Amino acid sequence: MRPLLIAALAAYVVAAIHIILAFINKRRAVERVAFVSLAAGFAAHTTTLVLDWAQAGHYPLFGLRETLSFLAWTLVIAYGWALVRYHTKSLGTLTLPLVVGLLMWSALARESETLTAGTVTGGVAAWLFPVHTTLLLFAYAAFFVVFAASVMYLWQERELKLKTFSAFFHRLPSLSTVDDIGSTAAGIGFTLLSLGIITGVIWSSTRSGRLWHNDPKEVFAVLTWLLYLTMIHYRAQWRGRKAAWAGVAGFALVVFTFLGTRLMGGYHVFG
Amino acid sequence: MSIVLVGLNHKTAPVEVRERLAFTDEACAEGLVSLVDGEVISEGLIVSTCNRVEVLAATAGATGGAEGAMRISQFLSASRCLPQNFFGEHLYTHADDAAVRHVFRVASSLDSMVVGEPQVLGQVRRAYTMAVSVGTAGRVLHRLMHHALHVAKRVRAETGIAASAVSISFTAVELGRKIFGSLKGCTVLLLGAGEMAELAAQHLAGAGAARVIVTNRTAETARMLAATFGGEAADFSTLPEQLAQADIVICSTGAADYVVTPQMAQAALEARRNRPAFFIDISVPRNVDPAVGALDNLFVFDVDDLEAVVASNIREREREAERAELIVESEVMQFQQSLRSLDIGPTVGALRQKLLDIAHAELERQRARLGPLTPEQERAVEALLISTVNKISHPLITRMRRSHETGGEENMQAWRDIFGLEE
Repeated sequence: MRPLLIAALAAYVVAAIHIILAFINKRRAVERVAFVSLAAGFAAHTTTLVLDWAQAGHYPLFGLRETLSFLAWTLVIAYGWALVRYHTKSLGTLTLPLVVGLLMWSALARESETLTAGTVTGGVAAWLFPVHTTLLLFAYAAFFVVFAASVMYLWQERELKLKTFSAFFHRLPSLSTVDDIGSTAAGIGFTLLSLGIITGVIWSSTRSGRLWHNDPKEVFAVLTWLLYLTMIHYRAQWRGRKAAWAGVAGFALVVFTFLGTRLMGGYHVFG
Repeated sequence: MSIVLVGLNHKTAPVEVRERLAFTDEACAEGLVSLVDGEVISEGLIVSTCNRVEVLAATAGATGGAEGAMRISQFLSASRCLPQNFFGEHLYTHADDAAVRHVFRVASSLDSMVVGEPQVLGQVRRAYTMAVSVGTAGRVLHRLMHHALHVAKRVRAETGIAASAVSISFTAVELGRKIFGSLKGCTVLLLGAGEMAELAAQHLAGAGAARVIVTNRTAETARMLAATFGGEAADFSTLPEQLAQADIVICSTGAADYVVTPQMAQAALEARRNRPAFFIDISVPRNVDPAVGALDNLFVFDVDDLEAVVASNIREREREAERAELIVESEVMQFQQSLRSLDIGPTVGALRQKLLDIAHAELERQRARLGPLTPEQERAVEALLISTVNKISHPLITRMRRSHETGGEENMQAWRDIFGLEE
């Protein structure tokens, strides 16, 4: 479904440009263009995923190309959640460029030929594998929201402490709002990550009887899990700046778990 | 038809002149009725505030702007019982595009003493309501005022012209909002007394703060102040407990030394489980140790900090005003276009009506020969007439619109002559 994917990408590009322009210029008309094209892009993107699933015959979350596209899709959903719940349009200035980047990468990525869906989808609990990956990708999207909210927190906190405000200060949501977004998204992300790890372990044990392969991705996933656990546990003490830094550090770990471990090889081949 | 605006404002006239020219509501209603005579002035509206007195009018028929302005100036003199030379030199006169631009700028608060202040829009709206209620607003002013309100809304939404506070007490409210989101549910602690501190507390309470606690070395003063805010008075010795409760602390005591120390602030922060707190220190010498500001989740602003924010907000407003002027400019152009379509509206209507009348008259003449028609046939004949009229008039209307854009009213007269139309 190439042409449709390109259409989705084009719509996202338009949305990303306009959401940034709206952030700078505060023009309603520009903002409308951003949301209309975002909705169009999301519809096209969703259709692509469904058609891929129907045509390829496997859940559209396999291999690098599909994983990147799916991740972009979960990011749009996460942004939609923040929009509906907190009306934080400014979050889009960080989210949408990333969505565009991921989808572009997905469109250009070449599938390694040795991988076929059959190699991992066989087994007793085959249905657990897509559940495992889906949960984790949604967790990543939630952690990105934590990261974006943390950046907004740190930026504004710094300006408040220095008492000099940039032109964008007034366009960002209040400190308590971004703090709230960060902690709520961290809670959601942590739950998804926990469930993702559990389903992964169960799937692996039904398939090969092994719970733990000691591969880099597993190690880093557990490290990430511990970091967010600490962050949520020490919520009261860490409120504000420290929690925001934890959100940034946690996301760095997530990015490394997602991409960095590819370089080290291991049982988890992708995603 | 011409749009004329004659008036004076805080920039052109001193208060002694403005107050003599100001209209009360009754005077305004009476004045409008006498101004709109239907011969020179066909529609009128008066904006009268402490900073401006302006008469906005649409002239009747072919009356030009200069003649309209003269009539308005006479009207001001007659209705205020003042010689024209008393205010003449302070008056400004705008016609057509310039008048439209001026109305848009006033409604958007670009012409105000404090650029971006929100009151003027309400005053303009009231002036319009008044003109509507006495019946002196017609199709031109309706369109102009609706457009002006739209422009004001657009300017507010799309520029930061009114986004940031330009007074110390509103800056405090704004910073509070930046930290806490909404001030609803916030607890304000007023430490000491003082005009500016009280004003800030009042604004915070007005912005929705749930509780106001007042504490003072003199218990009596605390009680009195608490009564004015509907708040509660607390004993000065309980300051540490009060600090733990307060989200926003306004300090304004006469103490020569720091009243809030880092240790106290740290203890309060722990008791609040690190929920953020905002200290506004309006006292000189300062009451809050600057070291308090270094603690996480505590934000301390003293008088100089607040004044610096105000100064930068004013600069920001001026920058945003430039963007607002661009919006006004593009809206003036749009308004002129919509006014033109307003002008051809009646001619278009008259033309279509004339063609329909002819068609119906012809149908009646031939009806006897058609014999009795079923309701279905009746509808078919009617549809045939209407679509024929539409097909004939459509290219004519297109041409008419184009020639009106280039030649204006004179060309419209030519069209009316050709078809023998009366407006």
